[in-house]
Amino acid sequence: MIDPASHRPLDGPAASREAALPAAAGVVPFTRRAFAHASEAEMSRILDFYGVQWHYEPTTFPILWNQEGEVVESFSPDFFLPEFDLYLEMTTLKQSLVRKKNRKLRRLRELYPDIRIKLFYARDFRAMMLKYGRFGLAQSLSGASGQLVGGERLGDLSVPEPISLVLPEPGLELGRVPESSAGVTVARRRAGRSTERSATLDRGAAIGDRESETV
Amino acid sequence: MKTVSDLRSDIGEILLNETQIQSRVAELGAQVSNDYAGRSLTLVSVLKGSLPFMADLMRSIDRPLRIDLMEVSSYGGATTESSGLVRILKDLSSSIEGEDVLIVEDIIDTGLTLNYLVRYLRGKKPASLRICTLLDKPARRLVEIDVDYIGFTIPDQFVVGYGLDYGELYRNLRFVGVLRPEVYSGIE
Repeated sequence: MIDPASHRPLDGPAASREAALPAAAGVVPFTRRAFAHASEAEMSRILDFYGVQWHYEPTTFPILWNQEGEVVESFSPDFFLPEFDLYLEMTTLKQSLVRKKNRKLRRLRELYPDIRIKLFYARDFRAMMLKYGRFGLAQSLSGASGQLVGGERLGDLSVPEPISLVLPEPGLELGRVPESSAGVTVARRRAGRSTERSATLDRGAAIGDRESETV
Repeated sequence: MKTVSDLRSDIGEILLNETQIQSRVAELGAQVSNDYAGRSLTLVSVLKGSLPFMADLMRSIDRPLRIDLMEVSSYGGATTESSGLVRILKDLSSSIEGEDVLIVEDIIDTGLTLNYLVRYLRGKKPASLRICTLLDKPARRLVEIDVDYIGFTIPDQFVVGYGLDYGELYRNLRFVGVLRPEVYSGIE
């Protein structure tokens, strides 16, 4: 659930996790966590390492509605960094899927101009891995090969392109998924990811295995 | 074992030559001297990459100053703790409480290390805390940090030299250059 005024998470596991964070020490690493992509898991470890608080997909932003006012497309940025009031979206997919994500990002920025979000492209991730001496890891995590479950791609989770663009009904609060439609949108996303998560991960094990092969 | 000639041949392009660097460092030194007039300044350098910059910058500052050195573990490095958390490998030698402190960095890209360092040093209650970096790579910024002095803003390329390394090499080059991709692309 999010605060419609600030678009910030109000509750859920992320909120309880934040409450447990020691203020001075930075962050308690959450190393047992399911991620859709191994690059996201690696990013979470980097953020943990440097004591940056993060929430994983805490907010779902509706970005497209149909004629009935139901949400037909939404966007859940991968990370929210509360200390910097910043959302972070990891994109280590092939170019055609990057275009789709760019479109969703543009739409998000149109509808929620106050949101600060950065798109982290494959080249950014590779450069970061290179900086940390993990070029082999960057290669192995990028694109489809970085997906944690065979046959299920992050890009497959997208709702098909709409025929027409419909603006939200007057009075509909941006940032809040209406009860009637939230179930549809969120359930659709979760249906797509549930397979991934059930078949994976424990992030530490997944990354650890990769590290032993490549670093 | 690579020779100095090998190191130079690994450079695809010289981004900043020695003259450019020295000229800009002198400008930064003059600016810092002016800003800290009448105040006691402590320069805190972050090992290892910022050593050459620190050495040149401190000699360009026309004010009494102290220096100190810090080193923090890097993600994925040999010194990475099994706990998975950044660690201070070398702490300050003396207190900075009540001091005007200027952090001297070689390069800022994601800002993660610097963000950690700023939080750490603020906890030591300096009178002021500012940041000076030779190179700024804003395209790679993950966390926003206010940087007070910037030598050069550079494009998103992998650079080495003048303290910056790849695999602990290239630090002793007098210029900042772009490393050829083939140098690192085959390394696992």
